Amino acid sequence: MDERLRETLSAMMDDEADELSVRRLLSHGDQEEIRGQWQRWQQVRDLMHENHGPADAVDVAVAVREALDGHVRPARSADGVPEAPGGSYWRWPVAAMVVMALVIGFGAGAGWDSQTVEPAAPFAMTEPADDQALMLSAAVEEVALQGLDEDQLQQMRQYLLEHAQHSSVGAGRGSVGYARLVSAGGGY
Amino acid sequence: MRFPVSSVTVRFRHVLAGLFLGLAMPLAHAGSATAEAPDLADDAATAMSWLERLGPALNMTSYRGVFVYARGDQVHSMQIAHRFRNGQVEERLVMQDGGSGEFVRKGLNVVCVLPDRGRISLNEVIPSGPFAEAFSSQLMPFGDWYRPQLVGEDRVAGYDVMTIALTARDENRYSHRLWLEKNTGLLVKSHVRDADGEVLEHFQFTSLEITDDIADEELEVQTQGREITRTLQASDASQSVVSRMNGWTLNWQPEGFMPAAAPRSGKGKAVAFSDGVAAFSVFVEPVGSLKMPTGASRVGATTIYMREMSVAERPFLVAVVGEIPPRAARKVADAVEIDDILALELSER
Repeated sequence: MDERLRETLSAMMDDEADELSVRRLLSHGDQEEIRGQWQRWQQVRDLMHENHGPADAVDVAVAVREALDGHVRPARSADGVPEAPGGSYWRWPVAAMVVMALVIGFGAGAGWDSQTVEPAAPFAMTEPADDQALMLSAAVEEVALQGLDEDQLQQMRQYLLEHAQHSSVGAGRGSVGYARLVSAGGGY
Repeated sequence: MRFPVSSVTVRFRHVLAGLFLGLAMPLAHAGSATAEAPDLADDAATAMSWLERLGPALNMTSYRGVFVYARGDQVHSMQIAHRFRNGQVEERLVMQDGGSGEFVRKGLNVVCVLPDRGRISLNEVIPSGPFAEAFSSQLMPFGDWYRPQLVGEDRVAGYDVMTIALTARDENRYSHRLWLEKNTGLLVKSHVRDADGEVLEHFQFTSLEITDDIADEELEVQTQGREITRTLQASDASQSVVSRMNGWTLNWQPEGFMPAAAPRSGKGKAVAFSDGVAAFSVFVEPVGSLKMPTGASRVGATTIYMREMSVAERPFLVAVVGEIPPRAARKVADAVEIDDILALELSER
């Protein structure tokens, strides 16, 4: 696999590949090799986040093509996007990238901790949040971002932005402040 | 727009660094525990003197480089060129991934260019408040809330650095670790860690060149797109804090956190607090049609805790956002007391 394809693959893991390069990747001769690389990286990443994703079981190429061709796979587990055992949130990077449907708020909570504490009563909003709603601790209830609607996410993002703008950028930490700002504003 | 191969290696280097960090942490802890015994006071004093250089160094050093910032699952990298010349700071930052865009700053003049994409509305992104000087001008006695300690020497992005740990003295704040370049004191890497030593937020230069030789072209806007210019106002923190806190009070805040520069929130009832290292903002707003849930969320080291409260039969939303642990954020939110006068005033509008 050449460096460019490797880069695309890496970008896909970070939700950042553009459509053209993804298509190029998909037309690469040795799909087996690409799948292998994807799975190895995915495993490293899952290890880091302690959620053992279903990388082994998924044919990346098929799902990616579907996403590119407009068969939108919602980010949520509702209709067959494989979900990791143990309830950790499996996001679908390319679908997220291409469809932009994921780019509500913070990528629908993709960047947020779903820490390994025991599941607890989820905060129910527009629809019942599933087992991704976890408690931060016994004392502080965690809001399940997946259950929030667009306006609520927008409001939360606004708070994060204002905080980042006024304290972090100004906190005498220079670049860290910018980074926090971009992170709060983007989510992608 | 993506920058070729180098950014990939950065990305994966980061991932691997994370792995190794996790593995190495217990060892590092064990090591420092035995090593710190002698010269403890000396050590702390040296650490403090390094920290005093941090603020000035950030503005007055000229450099270019690429840094990576990670919190939670998010990783961003940005390219930066920063020049200090004739008493004026000029800098240009270009986002390297995700939504592309750039910030260009000349003194108090900031230009922000974002291609018309994504969901960021432009005026949200531009820092509208006092910029970098607001906090750094006041060096707070943060030694009272953090135990400063010289950890050792290291190398980051090709430069020799001093590593300094700021260990939280209570559970209401996180611990920090800072890597400062030896000659200039420039911050080249930082960690925010929780009580278990887990890294919640990670900032690091992956390539860096400290040099006064930065051409004007490197500081010019280059992205095509919508452009927005804004002149930053010099801060008038002390005055605005007083007026902004009219209407509500905090009955409790973590020791050492003082009201600092006030966010210019659209609806106006927000105040930022800082202990000299970390900061949190408190927002108090009447609830309109939008209902918000009660509880905490966090990304990396940043917690947002929200709760609704009712005063004079008027609902208010209290939100605490900052680099503090969820429990502390909750305690702050619970300590907000809204005057009847504010409730009355707002309901008359």
